[in-house]
Amino acid sequence: MIRLEKLTKSYLTTRGRKVVFRDLTLEIPGRANVGLIGRNGAGKSTLMRLLSAVDLPDTGKIVTDGRLSWPVGLMGGMQGTLTGRDNVKFVCRIHGVRGAGMREKLDYVEEFARLGRYFDEPVATYSSGMRARLAFGTSMAFDFDYYLIDEILAVGDADFKAKSRRVFAQRLKQACVILVSHNMNLIRKMCDLVVHLDRGAATLYTDVELGIAAYEGAGGEP
Amino acid sequence: MITGARTSFQIQRDVVYALLLRELASRFGKSRVGFLWVLMEPVAHLVFPIAVFGFMLERTIPGVEYPVFLTYGFLPFLLFKTICLQTMDGTRANRGLLSYRQVLLMDVFVAKALTHCAVSASVFAVVLGGLALVGFDVLPPSPIELFGVLALTVALAFGLGMLFAALGTVSPELKSIARLIFIPLYFLSGILFPISRFPEDWLPWLAINPVLHLVELSRHAALPDYELVPELGAGNPLALAIASVFMGLALYRLRWLSRAAA
Repeated sequence: MIRLEKLTKSYLTTRGRKVVFRDLTLEIPGRANVGLIGRNGAGKSTLMRLLSAVDLPDTGKIVTDGRLSWPVGLMGGMQGTLTGRDNVKFVCRIHGVRGAGMREKLDYVEEFARLGRYFDEPVATYSSGMRARLAFGTSMAFDFDYYLIDEILAVGDADFKAKSRRVFAQRLKQACVILVSHNMNLIRKMCDLVVHLDRGAATLYTDVELGIAAYEGAGGEP
Repeated sequence: MITGARTSFQIQRDVVYALLLRELASRFGKSRVGFLWVLMEPVAHLVFPIAVFGFMLERTIPGVEYPVFLTYGFLPFLLFKTICLQTMDGTRANRGLLSYRQVLLMDVFVAKALTHCAVSASVFAVVLGGLALVGFDVLPPSPIELFGVLALTVALAFGLGMLFAALGTVSPELKSIARLIFIPLYFLSGILFPISRFPEDWLPWLAINPVLHLVELSRHAALPDYELVPELGAGNPLALAIASVFMGLALYRLRWLSRAAA
């Protein structure tokens, strides 16, 4: 269960304050995979940032009884000057995983991401596909109740996509996903319900097709 | 959570430790040159004035050798400058790492300051060791007092760094101005010359600068028979350190530091 209680979030821009959400209230039931859809600028990323506590709301709060992952996306979370291995170590350390536990995670990510010798090269030298494999593999090494996934499943070659879907499906037996994507086929395949964001409002659709229809009706690409 | 519930303090300790290692790795891991530069920069700053002013000032400070005098003035100044600027830029530096909910901006500040304290300690050891090898008497007569002065230096730098970071969210140009201040500050902090070389009626004005107090306090603690002028003391930097840390933390609570510069 994730409950947004009267959430207000605004940003200061050069042309004054831009309000993304005002008094947004929404309850997402537990044990459901959620697709977050909306046009560019509708606030999907902002909501992800708030859910993952990267950013704090101006007022209101987010209540949950589960453990939420960091936002697993292409950028962020990985330091370009450090090697893939050092980045994974960092994630282990901040989660309090040390010693044998850390070695286990490192082996898992190395196995999963198949970076070869690049695992010990700076992340800045990676291709976007390699970055995605590292980021996704790292998140899969940790147990969460909700995985916050931002577009990342759409990258990588067919081989990696198939593999990550398989591992992810395994994970999703115990955990849930909150997925941001413009790919409606992916939303159909993975999600049990969708939240459609439009002009500062969020609508929950328990019928995925209805939600996608609302998104397309609001001018989103089909 | 993954290894059983941790207390807030344990989480913060884990995070600061992880950031500390990350900071060291990205600063020294890439090449040995990075490590050498950290040591060579202060040495370069010391060698030039020693060569130029060393002979001139040999006799003007009774009982004090110029290289030792310079070292105990310059190293606290460098400590102050680095921690202040690093804290100021801490808001920009590790944006990506803040995407983990455990990592807070304050952890980044603390880790950076701690890293630099460790780096400074090795710089102190190397420079003083080098001077001792050449035959200077470098051991401070009141080491605890010296340690206190350096701790005060770190506190003031940290507090002012947070204030500058908050200013930087109003406009990034203000950060550049803050950076420029350090050039006149170097000359106004009595690093090259003893404070007694300035005209006497300047003293009340010069004494506004807290770094001058810290520099002279450091020398007072580290050099035998080095007298403080009565205008100087721990009061000014202590008051400013408390005020700036308090204000900096207040602005941090109000999320001034984490909001992006417009």
